[in-house]
Amino acid sequence: MADLALPTAPGRVARTARTWKLRISATLVAGFVLAVLLVPPLVGLDEQAVDLGAKLLPPSLDHPFGTDDVGRDLLLRCVYGLRVSLLVGVVAALVATVLGTAVGAAAGALGGWTDRLVMRCVDAFSSVPHLLLGIFIVALFRPGVWPVVVSVGLTHWVSTARIVRAEILSLRARPYIDAAVSGGASRLRLARRHLIPGVLPQAGLAAVLMIPHAIWHESALSFLGLGLPTHQASLGTLVQSARGTLLAGDWWPTLFPGLFIIVPTLAIAGLAGAWRERLNPRRRSELML
Amino acid sequence: MTSRTDRRPVRLAGTLAATAALTVAATSCSAPGGGTDAKGSATGTAVVGIAYEPDSLSPLLGYGKDGNSKIFDGLLTHDEKLDLQPALATELPEISEDGRTYTFQLREGVTFTDGKPFTARDVVFTYETILDPKTNNASRTELDAVESVEAKGDHTVVFHLKYPYAPFAERTVLPIAPAHIAGEQDVNTGDFTTKPIGTGPYELVGWSKGEKLTFKANPDYWGGAPKIKNFTMAIIKDDDVRATRLRSGDLDGAILPPNLAKAFKDGNTATYAAKSFDYRVVTLPTGNKVTGDTDIRRALDLAVDREAMVDSILDGAGKPAYGPVPTDSPWFTEGTERAHDLKAAADLLDEAGWKKGKDGVRAKDGVRAAFPLWYLSGDKLRQDHALSYASDAKKLGVEVKVQAGTWEVIQPRMPKDAVLAGGGSPADPDFDQYTLLKSSLAGDGFNNMAHYDNPAVDKALEKGRRSGEHTDRQAAYDTVQRELVKNPGYTFLTHIDHVYVVDKRFGTLTTQVEPHDHGLASGPWWNVEDWKPAK
Amino acid sequence: MNKARPGLPWIPMARMTGRRLLFAVPVLLAVTFAVFAVADASPFDPVKAYAGTAGLTASQENLDQLRANLGVDQPLAVRWWEWITGALTGDLGHSAVMRQPVADVIAERIGWSVLLAALAFVVAVLAGTTLGVLAARRRGSLVDRAVTSLAYTLEAAPTFWLGLLAVWLFALQLGWLPAGGLTDTGSTTVTAGQLTTHVILPAAVLAASQLPWFALYVRQGVGDALDEDPVRGARARGLAEHTVLLGHALRSGLLPVLTLIGSRVPELITGALLVETVFSWPGIAAATVQAATAVDFPLLAATTVLATAAVLLGNLVADLLYGLADPRVGFDG
Repeated sequence: MADLALPTAPGRVARTARTWKLRISATLVAGFVLAVLLVPPLVGLDEQAVDLGAKLLPPSLDHPFGTDDVGRDLLLRCVYGLRVSLLVGVVAALVATVLGTAVGAAAGALGGWTDRLVMRCVDAFSSVPHLLLGIFIVALFRPGVWPVVVSVGLTHWVSTARIVRAEILSLRARPYIDAAVSGGASRLRLARRHLIPGVLPQAGLAAVLMIPHAIWHESALSFLGLGLPTHQASLGTLVQSARGTLLAGDWWPTLFPGLFIIVPTLAIAGLAGAWRERLNPRRRSELML
Repeated sequence: MTSRTDRRPVRLAGTLAATAALTVAATSCSAPGGGTDAKGSATGTAVVGIAYEPDSLSPLLGYGKDGNSKIFDGLLTHDEKLDLQPALATELPEISEDGRTYTFQLREGVTFTDGKPFTARDVVFTYETILDPKTNNASRTELDAVESVEAKGDHTVVFHLKYPYAPFAERTVLPIAPAHIAGEQDVNTGDFTTKPIGTGPYELVGWSKGEKLTFKANPDYWGGAPKIKNFTMAIIKDDDVRATRLRSGDLDGAILPPNLAKAFKDGNTATYAAKSFDYRVVTLPTGNKVTGDTDIRRALDLAVDREAMVDSILDGAGKPAYGPVPTDSPWFTEGTERAHDLKAAADLLDEAGWKKGKDGVRAKDGVRAAFPLWYLSGDKLRQDHALSYASDAKKLGVEVKVQAGTWEVIQPRMPKDAVLAGGGSPADPDFDQYTLLKSSLAGDGFNNMAHYDNPAVDKALEKGRRSGEHTDRQAAYDTVQRELVKNPGYTFLTHIDHVYVVDKRFGTLTTQVEPHDHGLASGPWWNVEDWKPAK
Repeated sequence: MNKARPGLPWIPMARMTGRRLLFAVPVLLAVTFAVFAVADASPFDPVKAYAGTAGLTASQENLDQLRANLGVDQPLAVRWWEWITGALTGDLGHSAVMRQPVADVIAERIGWSVLLAALAFVVAVLAGTTLGVLAARRRGSLVDRAVTSLAYTLEAAPTFWLGLLAVWLFALQLGWLPAGGLTDTGSTTVTAGQLTTHVILPAAVLAASQLPWFALYVRQGVGDALDEDPVRGARARGLAEHTVLLGHALRSGLLPVLTLIGSRVPELITGALLVETVFSWPGIAAATVQAATAVDFPLLAATTVLATAAVLLGNLVADLLYGLADPRVGFDG
């Protein structure tokens, strides 16, 4: 999936639109994060507990999203699912960012042959489609959460590596770095004082942008029956186990988990888009998909 | 760096890629066509969707061992009521006084579909090949009682048994392979395993692996040529996909989980729920301190709400199970039903010293009443049974942690961890009870997964197997079922009906009582050769 | 040097192709080796996989024999080398899940995958371009907002979810189109009519998953072009709106997008994996997913390599077109 940071149009109208977009995104993200953090301990339910007497109830006031085929409240399942998916997404994004930053920084800072070699490896790595590589890894190590985290992390560090390397190269070309070098600063000091602080915001932005990717990949793997075990709620397993009920005409177990993927994804992307504009104001009108 | 990473706007024509893609597509789709639409007249054709695909079509490797193989016939066959009827034999076997000799007279004038005659030589060849240890037949132990097979002339076969084995005749529904073809090749890898030739009502036209098996009627079938001339079994492992394709009219019939079958109520289709011996059960391994405890076992047995499982998980298509024998079988022991009684279960554990801790989970002598329960990853029916079981156990104060795994993951854990298993075989009570409960078979593959060990049960199983008298056998299996109430090493949950949805134009169909392993030709198409489609 | 360019710069293009092929060799070698190394490090046991359920009851002796027969007792590098040499002679091993040689599986299925992907791609390019141009004409307009919102929602929506909803609506509720497969199951041959009805839904869903990128990119490219001085000038001179749009903005804004089509191969493969599975399309991507579910290593390894090759090819096409489109970039990538 391409990254979703929202591009924006110039002009005052656009600016207010942008502000609103940012506000809505921020509110949504905050809402989802709070729900995911607070609801499980507040409700204190065993999320796997079934209630066979209440199966497949359509949406109502008691169950805003309805219930699934073993009588579990779907709103609650979606929140639990989002929690698992977010957790997988955040950890996988961290793994990918650390890996990508390390590789990109090494390539950019060392330069020369190392850089060329490393970047060739990065090119080679990015030649394998993400989901396919993920499927390959998960198939061999499944089932469980960790294979999913590792496979998503391992497949998504490449773009971060490229961004970080490019940033380092541009930093190195700046005059104050030259000044520092001629002033006798050591390589290590140079890296610590100038390069790393300069790179961190970009890496952080890349990490945030990666979270929706990671969620998307987790849900795809789980949907294919390769990710999390099917009794564990995640956004992918929820859609997966809803397939049967959809055929029987019950649409709500499929619809709501899907929306729970789309809305947080758009909200996070909206937030990240605003951050990127602040970080790279010059590139405001440039589309980075 | 390659240029694709920095994306500056550029100018110039570039529809090349799209054009190239189109060209490739055009050449690729012209390749496999050629023929005309061969769907044929609708009346003589049936397409059914099944969930299972055989590894091999050779009876020597186990294909069709329980009958209904379509391509082959056995000496005997089962009718709708599962009573034995002669097939390649002219009548039921003559059994000697000591129960160790079975004599079959064979039908004359039967030919294989290659035109060669069927004789006693083929029967001897089939059984001797299966009994040969070099043959990769996983069910060889089912013929354990056979000492030798002897042909007397072209049309008489005599089986000599090592010990009197009461249900032996049930084993002779096994399909007969042609010695003149299968005998000329490697039994494990030869052509015959995928291109079989038999005496049965249908000939195999093609087997597109993972997709479908295509059959055409055998016009010279000894039982009369079938009316359904073209019969296709589409292999669709995914329940949802199968239901979708049945709904879209692509299939004439399919096996479906009850909840999906429910959606077919539009007047063009009929739903058949075949009764079965197919149970879902939780193994309670003797080697685990919690599941091995008789009080825990009995309490769980009382605490599970079997009726709710039948109503919700099975949508009513099934029965509560209290043991391997379904409640409507003549072999069932009246009075061994257990009512759902959570309070009695809790009292039982309180008295036995399993006290509730702060976390709501019981414990005794420092052992927490908690154990893992595994189900086969991707099996929704088992998953839902497992989740319901865990919910019921939780109300009792027993923590059951549901986990999913493949058999490779589950099997090494079977001595200690509970598993949501399935099984059941209708032809004779010996077939599944012996392997499920006999202590000497503990941990032998999928036999006796719970390592159940009860001397009284062992003795009764042995007696039921060897005795020729029906009343003695009934008494023996009553003993087994009563012992299972006192010490339930397995929590039996449900017997599930196998639900099939079939187009009404084939008329009113029947089903047999089905086993757990319902191979290719179960369901309403168990006798597709006898279907009489409406014009 | 060569001011009047009389045709395509064949020689530099050929050089670039050659360099890329040289690069592809080590990449494919590395990818295959990595595939073997990952499989080697995983708990997956090829012997048990081969023996199937029977392996659970088979004796240790039997399993050891099988292990030797399959050559799995060899070290990692030896097995990899044997696979490579086998693959070069067309022997990719035997697929357990399809019960066929892997080469046959690929040969039978790849055409259908290419057909589906190509159709979806054409639809995505056409629809995406149209939407993008519509949106770019007046940025901030209602049309623009509708198009961008749709694009972002489609981009965020999981492809498999879109597929399920499409099946529900068009196959089950409305009954317009078949829900899956290549042909009706009862038919033994593929006819054009059946193929057409069966390909519509999966191709449409796959196109919908690819469309946002094109729509947004075209919107951006054409929109930027409309802001450029020559275009403004043309507008100021009073040229008709559609002349400005078609004659100037489209050419400068659209072409870069088209040159980048090749680089969309990875996303297309990702989409195909999900779409083919949802619609049980008998293509190579659905086979890959089945292979993964059953841990059918030979098939999985082969399709991974195949996908990598497809991506490299797509990149080459993209870079060649890019070089053609912008002579400043050239063919030295």
